[in-house]
Amino acid sequence: MTHASTASKSMTIGEAFLFPVFFALAFLCLFAAGLAHDAPFAFHASLGAIASLAASFFILKRYYDRPAELPPQEINGRPNYNLGPIKFGAVAAVVWGIAGFAVGLLIASQLAWPLLNLDLPWTTFGRLRPLHTSAVIFAFGGNVLIATSFYVVQKTCRARLAGDLAPWFVVLGYNFFIVIAGTGYLLGVTQSKEYAEPEWYADLWLTIVWVSYLAVFTATLFKRKEPHIYVANWFYLAFIITIAVLHLGNNPALPVSFFGSKSYIAWGGVQDAMFQWWYGHNAVGFFLTAGFLAIMYYFIPKRAERPVYSYRLSIIHFWALIFLYIWAGPHHLHYTALPDWAQTLGMTFSIMLWMPSWGGMINGLMTLSGAWDKLRTDPVLRMLVVSVAFYGMSTFEGPMMSIKVVNSLSHYTDWTIGHVHSGALGWVGFVSFGALYCLVPWLWGRKGLYSLKLVNWHFWIATIGIVLYISAMWVSGILQGLMWRAYTSLGFLEYSFIESVEAMHPFYIIRAAGGALFLIGALIMAFNLWMTVNAGEAEQTTQATGLLQPAE
Amino acid sequence: MKAIVSIENLASHLVLTFWTPVFVAIFIAILVYALRPRNKTLFDTAAKMPLRED
Repeated sequence: MTHASTASKSMTIGEAFLFPVFFALAFLCLFAAGLAHDAPFAFHASLGAIASLAASFFILKRYYDRPAELPPQEINGRPNYNLGPIKFGAVAAVVWGIAGFAVGLLIASQLAWPLLNLDLPWTTFGRLRPLHTSAVIFAFGGNVLIATSFYVVQKTCRARLAGDLAPWFVVLGYNFFIVIAGTGYLLGVTQSKEYAEPEWYADLWLTIVWVSYLAVFTATLFKRKEPHIYVANWFYLAFIITIAVLHLGNNPALPVSFFGSKSYIAWGGVQDAMFQWWYGHNAVGFFLTAGFLAIMYYFIPKRAERPVYSYRLSIIHFWALIFLYIWAGPHHLHYTALPDWAQTLGMTFSIMLWMPSWGGMINGLMTLSGAWDKLRTDPVLRMLVVSVAFYGMSTFEGPMMSIKVVNSLSHYTDWTIGHVHSGALGWVGFVSFGALYCLVPWLWGRKGLYSLKLVNWHFWIATIGIVLYISAMWVSGILQGLMWRAYTSLGFLEYSFIESVEAMHPFYIIRAAGGALFLIGALIMAFNLWMTVNAGEAEQTTQATGLLQPAE
Repeated sequence: MKAIVSIENLASHLVLTFWTPVFVAIFIAILVYALRPRNKTLFDTAAKMPLRED
């Protein structure tokens, strides 16, 4: 049997299926580009044609270049981990992260100095803002999540990632979605749903990619050599499944034409608003929280070399979070046409969420029991731990802001922006940086990072940046809220709207300065990781053998 | 536009009526599983899973 299989090479099911599909898709896209009703759609269809053609070419090339047999599941009794797609995801995360932070800095500066919108349609705040949010959340955060989830699931299941082409399809397909979404915003393609701006064809593509992601992840879980499914995998699985459900629930739309970018959403009026914020808040809950908590539960114990403080608490943390988060969305719609009872329900569940959030925070922080001294010597661990502290801070602030009377002051003000960024920069950003600092040396088989000193610089510069950012937004947000509700003794509004805008100016400058520091920190990280890969000392294990795939 | 989703069938009626006790029961069952002394060794091993090298 072995002789026969080494002699004759045949395509895997994936190759035999995907090659013709991509080849046909290339022509379909070309056809759609020719019939397009609007220029952005023609551009996206052309991108689709080029990408599909490239995909079918590389599938064929990879097939001819590879040996007859696929990489083995195990080498010398040790799992033969598939690291290629993870490396791609890690690099993409760094690149997108810097792009996303830079666009954030640009739009923060536009708010302080409006001339920076350059008077061009493509560079207005309205188009760059979704570019920034999608780049940092979905491009940076998404690639971090895909990369770490593929790493953690293999390591804790002691099994090679399921599928041969499938993991590559997930990583590359996801990044192609990012390109379509991002270029779409610049060209004015949007369905105007916050954090769900991409139009119908991008949504359909993402659905296919995401279902493949779920399939690869669950198939790897099924192959596991460990009887117990580690808690981080539960968090990753909840993130993947819930994002699929949210995406499908929020985006049912009817395109005006199959050859145009515009579509109309199925939901109308307040139902649309409710669906949007059911989606929007759970994107926070399951993308920006559950997924990154999975990172916390693997990378903090690993880096601190301590077991999880309480595994029992981690189970309760997981289920309490899952049961409660899904109901919190209506707090985005306080004092709107949404029925009062629904607003109160959203508020109540948001306040209850404080408990599992802090349970998780305590579990993450207390994992350092017996290893607190490492905070002084290891800036990577410090970054991970400070991220959990920021998680605790923003999960206290969030429930507080969801209380209706507090929200009546905070809603529509910069306080919301400050709150989001204490979570996004402090929690999601830092836990991702910490994970990348751990992951890159592991993936490329390096002894350690190029420079811990540079990590230290990154840590402090970025921390000062976050503090500048969030404190500026607290002051400006509360100032804004108070100015809007101030009345004179005769019952007139004391300030015109433009006066409140004028009052924001100094805080917008401070905020932009904070963002600039955060970006500088990320550039230091990119340099450090680049040097780790290219000049770092190789690890002296047998790891190098058999890890490389033909496609690399 | 008329409401697209109709919730007037038996299955969803049952879910709407009973989801609170059902979810609470599931959550209590999870608490029992998590806090049961018998599961201590399982959880102690699981807590060390990230640390194991292969």
